[in-house]
Amino acid sequence: MTLIETILAAVGGTVAMAVFGIVAGLFFLGVDRKFAALMQARIGPPLRQPFIDAAKLMRKENIVPENAIPWIFNGAPILALASAITILLYLPVGSIMPVLGGAGDLILVMYLLTIPALAMVVGGFASGSPYATVGAQREMVILIAYELPLAIAIIAIAWRLSMAGIADPFSLTTIAANPVWGVVGPVGAVGLLILLGILAWVTPAELSRIPFDAQEAETELAGGLLVEYSGKNFALFYLAQAVKTIVMAALAVALFLPWNLSSFVAMAPAVAVAADFVFFLAKVLLVVFFSISLIRVSMARFRINQIVSIYWVWLGLAGFVGLALVMIDAILAGV
Amino acid sequence: MATLPMIPELLRQLFRTPATNAFPAKYLPSSVTEFLAKVGRGEAAIHPPVPVPKDFRGKITYDPTGCTGCSLCAKVCPAHAIEVLKDEKRIRIYVSQCIFCSQCTDICPKGSLAMSDAFLLADENRYADHLIVE
Amino acid sequence: MSDDPQKKMTPYTVPIGPTHPALKEPVMFTFQMNGEQILKADFAPGQTHRGIEWMGMRRNPVQIVHLTDRICGICGVSHSLAFARAMEQIMEIEVPERADYVRTIIAEFERIQSHLLWAGVAAHELGFDTLLHLTWRVREQAMDTIELLTGNRVNYGIIQVGGVRRDFTPDQFPAIEETLQYYSDLKSKLLKIFLEDKTIQMRCRDCGVLSYDDALKLCTVGPTARASGLNMDVRVDYPFAAYGDLAIEPILPDAYMGETRGDVFDRIVVRLLEVDQSVDIIRQCLDRMPAGEVIAEPKLAKLLNQFKKAHGEALGRHEAPRGEVLHYVRMDGKEHPTSWKVKASSYSNLMSWIPMLEGEQIADIPIIVASIDPCLSCTDRVAVVRSGERGIMTKEELHRLSVEKTRRLSA
Repeated sequence: MTLIETILAAVGGTVAMAVFGIVAGLFFLGVDRKFAALMQARIGPPLRQPFIDAAKLMRKENIVPENAIPWIFNGAPILALASAITILLYLPVGSIMPVLGGAGDLILVMYLLTIPALAMVVGGFASGSPYATVGAQREMVILIAYELPLAIAIIAIAWRLSMAGIADPFSLTTIAANPVWGVVGPVGAVGLLILLGILAWVTPAELSRIPFDAQEAETELAGGLLVEYSGKNFALFYLAQAVKTIVMAALAVALFLPWNLSSFVAMAPAVAVAADFVFFLAKVLLVVFFSISLIRVSMARFRINQIVSIYWVWLGLAGFVGLALVMIDAILAGV
Repeated sequence: MATLPMIPELLRQLFRTPATNAFPAKYLPSSVTEFLAKVGRGEAAIHPPVPVPKDFRGKITYDPTGCTGCSLCAKVCPAHAIEVLKDEKRIRIYVSQCIFCSQCTDICPKGSLAMSDAFLLADENRYADHLIVE
Repeated sequence: MSDDPQKKMTPYTVPIGPTHPALKEPVMFTFQMNGEQILKADFAPGQTHRGIEWMGMRRNPVQIVHLTDRICGICGVSHSLAFARAMEQIMEIEVPERADYVRTIIAEFERIQSHLLWAGVAAHELGFDTLLHLTWRVREQAMDTIELLTGNRVNYGIIQVGGVRRDFTPDQFPAIEETLQYYSDLKSKLLKIFLEDKTIQMRCRDCGVLSYDDALKLCTVGPTARASGLNMDVRVDYPFAAYGDLAIEPILPDAYMGETRGDVFDRIVVRLLEVDQSVDIIRQCLDRMPAGEVIAEPKLAKLLNQFKKAHGEALGRHEAPRGEVLHYVRMDGKEHPTSWKVKASSYSNLMSWIPMLEGEQIADIPIIVASIDPCLSCTDRVAVVRSGERGIMTKEELHRLSVEKTRRLSA
């Protein structure tokens, strides 16, 4: 492949993934709203509602507050959306392998995950509103809080794969190709279940959903760090939120549910890609229901100090227990 | 689920029908007038409004035949929604101002006033034809 | 970052209001914050003055009694009942016994729907929207029953000076019984969902504490006072309507929880238990309800004439869902009252915000503010419009102004 072809493939892949991320993300936001509505005994908006919302916001005027710093204020939403799409380039979708990738991209994804949040923090501080400032402070605290359990969950899997003698364990392609459940024994499986639970609890914080939405907290901060955003800028944050939903779900799928239909049932290559893609969407649906919709409708919002103690003490401890179980499993397996 | 008693309730609700009263159309149609035209042609159906109980106090009705213009109704109206037309010995009721207390219907010596079942009265113009009863 | 420790500790100000998602009605809060913690709280009510007393003094009591329905959006009968009781005392009208029972039943249905509405709002302030939808869904049953009994859903318009305007018909009793059974069956589920939920406990336990002494000193009323351990309830202390005939005990949190902490959680407990108490009161009323007339003077025109002969002043009280409401009326032989003063229950409770809020976090503001079930539109009686300044008046100045106004009115 010549250099030009490589570049073309990367650009084409990026555009395709961006479109996929936004469309699928908005669709799953609609699915989440429908699930929540049904559980709350409401009819709820139609599935296309997030598309209508995004289109309407795109047509609305941008208002920049008087005491905001305009270039940061306008730049933050673009940064948030761009970084969210970048992460998607490293994640496998069904049997379609990531556009970019290589050794150690798992670590890169962990770092990239903080960028949309940081963009929101920067935008919040640049808004010049007390609500946005408080929201931005909270967002930073939450960012630091959920990093520990998330890192434990991700590293435990990569470590276990490397102990099983698989080369390049920190590459998502490797992790997706070698389901970790096939490597571990029963003790490790229990550990992995705990880690799966942790990832399910980190997802709402990453996506700033109830009960971990202290940074936006509608009834306290009136939208927190997004309080001053409107029109196109807000639409960009909304799209970033949609892409992040897909990213978090795809990450959970890649780490814990990486199986493909084509590896069980023999089928023609073209059919296999399509079938795996549909299967991937079904897995994303599962993740969205359990770690976003169900959690957000079943409990009250936590205070910021409660969020920190939940992540550092309870989920941190649970993470270490899960890690320990995975390590014991590795020892039992005799490696 | 001792610590989160809501979860079993939620999962059960997921498979039940929603409790909300249905809007006329399930979702907002892109054009309301087109939708109503369709309903007129019988191509689409609308959910009927919820039924109201007996003796519901809805939009007021006025039968001017027996009215003597005694103005008792205007005297007890808390909202000053009734205008007495002295020359014609009639009254005019501004429904946008009416508070549906039904006191005028109680006091009317001729029984010219009554409350109907109609409650869908929203309009952009508070002096629209259907909001002035005379 | 400055090295000056003084500067680091400088508190910053967070304004909340007059309109804010945490507030269901306009009020202006100013908080001095240290990080997430509230150092000092202050509030300025008076943002929704509607001049309702002014309107009342230009109308006759038959008109006012339906105006009072609109003082509060939730208490559609509390204010009317208090006003009607004041008028009945001035005019020395004997209310028929059956009317007293009808009034009591409607008032208790109102308490059921008001407390459920509050529980939903409280859940929403905590970010627990599912509970909001659930409580408002079950509240519909009470609303539908009220609609069936009175003809209106929100502003019932059933009270009249001297009785009530509608009697129950025999075919309505099965519907009432069905509603009561519905809420009896619901009791354990509601208590379980609200009180056993870990996240609600984490947010509400020991949050917004109002001590027994503070509750007493600040003259709180209703569920806010009872949640702090004050044994007070107008229905028991000064029985009116049919309450004197019934067996009622004020609901205190220690009866259910074993202790009284005076926090937001105790306020939830008190209100949820009062829903069940109201069901019990309605049952007692239905058992004892006598036959007979429901209004002392069924001819409105005659009643209007009697107002012109009325002289005197009186106080009407009622235990509204939020606490005691008080109406002062003075009639001087004219068709309209010379003076009419409304004290809504929230007026007594607002000051308890300050000790509750100080020392808590930003996150607790919505639920603490909501925990006294504030009804600001009912409360606001004064709006300063003449000059832009809002001076604070001392007690002496206020007293002088009221004396002057009384002289002006009686002159």
